[in-house]
Formats: sequence, C-alpha cells, structure tokens
Amino acid sequence: MFSRSLLRSSSATSRLMLNNTLKLSFRYQSSLIGKFNKESLINTYSKGPIDLRFTEDHEYVAAHPDQTAFIGITKYASDAIGDVTFVELPEIGDKIDQGDVIGSIESVKSSNDIFAPISGEVIAINEQLNDNAPLVNSDPLGDGWIVQVKVEDAEQLKELQNEQEYEESLKQDA
Amino acid sequence: MFRRAYSTATANGLKKTPLYDLHIKYGADMVDFAGYSMPVLYKGQSHIDSHKWVRSKAGIFDVSHMLQQNLKGDDVIPFLDKITPSDFKASKPWANQLTVLLNQDGGIIDDTIVTKHDDDKNFYIVTNAGTREKDLEFFKNESQPFDVKFEQIDNALIALQGPLASKVLQNFTNEDLSKIYFGNSKIIKIPGFNNLDIHLARGGYTGEDGFELSIPKDVSIEFTEALLENKDEVRPIGLAARDSLRLEAGMCLYGHDLNDTITPVEGALSWVIAKNRRDPNVNKFNGSSKILGQLADRSLVKQQRVGFTSKGPAPREGTEIYSKEDPEKKIGVVTSGSLSPSSSERINIGQAYVERGYHKSGTPVLVKIRNKLRDATIAKQPFIPSNYYRG
Repeated sequence: MFSRSLLRSSSATSRLMLNNTLKLSFRYQSSLIGKFNKESLINTYSKGPIDLRFTEDHEYVAAHPDQTAFIGITKYASDAIGDVTFVELPEIGDKIDQGDVIGSIESVKSSNDIFAPISGEVIAINEQLNDNAPLVNSDPLGDGWIVQVKVEDAEQLKELQNEQEYEESLKQDA
Repeated sequence: MFRRAYSTATANGLKKTPLYDLHIKYGADMVDFAGYSMPVLYKGQSHIDSHKWVRSKAGIFDVSHMLQQNLKGDDVIPFLDKITPSDFKASKPWANQLTVLLNQDGGIIDDTIVTKHDDDKNFYIVTNAGTREKDLEFFKNESQPFDVKFEQIDNALIALQGPLASKVLQNFTNEDLSKIYFGNSKIIKIPGFNNLDIHLARGGYTGEDGFELSIPKDVSIEFTEALLENKDEVRPIGLAARDSLRLEAGMCLYGHDLNDTITPVEGALSWVIAKNRRDPNVNKFNGSSKILGQLADRSLVKQQRVGFTSKGPAPREGTEIYSKEDPEKKIGVVTSGSLSPSSSERINIGQAYVERGYHKSGTPVLVKIRNKLRDATIAKQPFIPSNYYRG
C-alpha cells in the first residue's frame, strides 16, 4: 500500500497487491511519473507556462496561468492500481477543500479514494472516463486527467512538490 | 533420480509451495496468502488479461497451499456422517463431492471436496489453506471415537482451468480424458515423466472445464513447465484472477462468504444436504437439529447468502445494503464484490447476506458506497454460464 494516502483501498487483497506491485515495479525506471502528453487538453488548454506539481498521494496538478488546474494521478499510481475499471467523478460546481475525498478510482479488486490536492471549485470533469476508464492507465498525464478546478489559493500550489522533488520521494519509497 | 533441494520458507517467514521458484521465474508478484508466499499476478499480464485468458484458453493456478489428505479406516463413513450432511455411503468411487464440515452448532468450519477412492475405507479430502490449523484440530478432535487415520499428502496441487485445458493435458497422457466427466477423479499415468502417477480431479473453481492435478513435488516444476510450453494456450495465473473467476462462477470464498457461524441453509448450500439425511429422527450430524429445523421452516432463517449485480462503483466486502422501499433500513452486507471482468457492460457482481424477504432474484436494493445509496439488484448465481465437461 502506498505509505501515503491516495490508495486507501477497501480490500485487504488489493492492499497487498499494491504493496507488492510497487516494490517490484519501481527501481530505475524512468517513466514513474508518466509522460506529459503535450497533445492533450492538460497542455493545450492554454499557451502556458504550466506549473506542474505533485502530491505525496501520487496525484498531479497542472496549473495554467488563468488560475485553473487539471488534476490526475501519476503513472506510478495508475500502474499500482492496475486495470482501471471505473472512475467516480465529482460534479461540476462542487466546492472542494484540500484533502477532501472527491471521487474514486477502481480496479477489479480495489477502490482508491481521490483526494483534493488543492482547494477550489470543480469547473470541468473528464467525461471521457465514463466510457473509457483505462485512459487513466494509458495516458495518466494526458487524456486520463480527472478534473479541472478553479484554484482558490495559489499558495497551496507552491507547497506541493515539483517534478524533481516528487521523483526523489519515489526513490526513497522504494 | 535427481532430487531438487527445497527451502520451504521465504526470507520473511512465509511458507513456499513446491512451485515457488517457477513463480519467481515467470515474474510473479508474490503476496502473503494464508501464510504462504503466493503469486497474485504474473509479469506481462494485467488482472483482466489473466481473467479473460482463462475464460478463452487455459490457465495454471498453484493451489498447493491447500491441504490434501488421505482418509483411511473402517469408520470413515460414520465419521463423515457425523461431520458433514452428505451421504458418502451412496457416493460412487472416484466421484468428487463438494460438502461442508460442520461444528456442533451447524456452522461451517470449512468447505471441502471429498472423493471416495476404491472403497468406503479410502477417501481423499482437500480443505482450504486459510483454515489449515483449525481443520487439523477439528479432524483430530472429531475423529477420536472412530477408526480413521489422516495422512497428509505432500504433493503439489495445480489447477489447469479453461476451455483448452483438456486439449493441453491430453498430449501428456494415453488416458482418454473425454471419458472422465466433470466431478470425477482418476489416477492417470504420464509416460513422458517416467510413467508418473497423477491424481486428477475434473472440476475446479472458475466455472470452466479443467482439472486439479496432485503431483509429487519433486517433478512438479518440470511438469508444470512442460504444460506452460504450450504458450499460445496456457499461462500461469495468479490469485487476482482466481478471485474474480470464482466470483463470476458463483463460488464461495471461505472466510468471506462463509464462516463458522453460518449454516449451510443460510449459506445457500442446502443442496449439499443429502436427500436421505433430512429426517431429523433418523439422521444425526453436527448441528443437524438446527440445520434440518431451518430446512423445514424457512422462517428460522434470518439471513441468506445471495448474489447481486450493480453498475457504477463496485460494492466491496463490508458494503452495507439497504431496503429500496425504506432506505433507512439496513438489510444486509456484502461479503465479496467486484467488477465482472467478463462483462462487456461493466456490470459489478458480488455475494451478500440479506434478510429473508429480500433474498429473491430481481429484488431491488440499495448499497451504500462513500455515503451514497446506489441501486443494486439481487441476482441468480452463477453470473456466467458454467462450462463443465459432462460428456
């Protein structure tokens, strides 16, 4: 299980599975964070620059100059979950506080809470995931984004990890 | 003959099955299951890949962690008559019988497969890994007044499951497998392995055709690898898919869907109670007055195991179930649940215990997931048609 909390899983089996997957899949792989898909909306939404941040829960926040941000999970997390079968999304207009459970990502055997990495208001949800949940596996930092929020407090972003810090934290976890 | 030297425990103290090195070689993620280091997924296959492979081709599962024993003696029948509700006097030699071990209160100690061998004095019994210590203690205590002897069988046990299982195995034996039907056993010879004797039971835990093969452990890796050489047909499959396959097939997982406070009637396993053992005046077995009482008067059954389906987030073990008419009223709890990987409509399936009155197929109910009530429907099991070989 992730020592931190994105994957608060609801079944003992899956906890074990995750733990194990993580240990085996980690070391010296370059693609732990995932490839930032420049063709996808999380990049093309604005001309940038994009401030890409990460949380200890293995989520990313791709913040654009208009104070909105796309939220999703890293490849490290989606690999650990395995085949994503269902994503429960919040609703447009939901006010979220940092740390709130705003949805869940499911595999055949596990349900994993999605925590709000920052506070704000949900202004878009990735409806493609309703029909194509495996996008979270195939393109987590791209077409597998989960929600877009209006950022309430830009200071919260600065407290999140940058790419280098996140990668470093993954190495320490292994 | 060459003998492999086994270490029997991993560095973290988990027990190894005879196939442990094979799992590592095939890139398995190993987890603790009932004190054994067991494969959950193999490299290059996702959970859904593994599941669909078994439904369309053939998979090999290591089930060596289960307890295999020979049961011998003059009193095997009276002994089994006491601890199970089945009729082993009447069962045919080499026919496999699913039954339950019962405590004095009629609760299920374990579910098990028992096979009469040549006569009433020789049986083969396979029980679960997670209940090993409890079962051994139970057998020891219960068998005291009887002339019965247990011999643990130190073999590997593999399950070869899927529509291609028979085709693959037939290449290894001159025995005509088309003559061995679902629910039967036989000792078969394997010429390519020095005329090795293998105990074969046709059946399994996936709903597919297949075999459980008890193999002397010295040759178990070589034999399993020989099966796996048929790469286009056979793959090793781990616990992840084993669980979703058995759930689609409507089978119980002991410790989740059954436990020692549940009677066979509550567990929807009344069919294991033999017809001629239902007269409370004639037949006594552990817990028979309670169990036969429930059979005669269903109002004594407060809760019952059922199947259910739903859409959206999957109900999981522990998910609470509420009445559709009265959403304040809790009527049951989920004991197993997941997406059905075989379902193209992404339907969730599972097992639950609900109050009688809500147990009929088609009954709409509500399940509470992340504090929201969502629709579900009580449904018949199995969730996929079974594919057994009946000749």
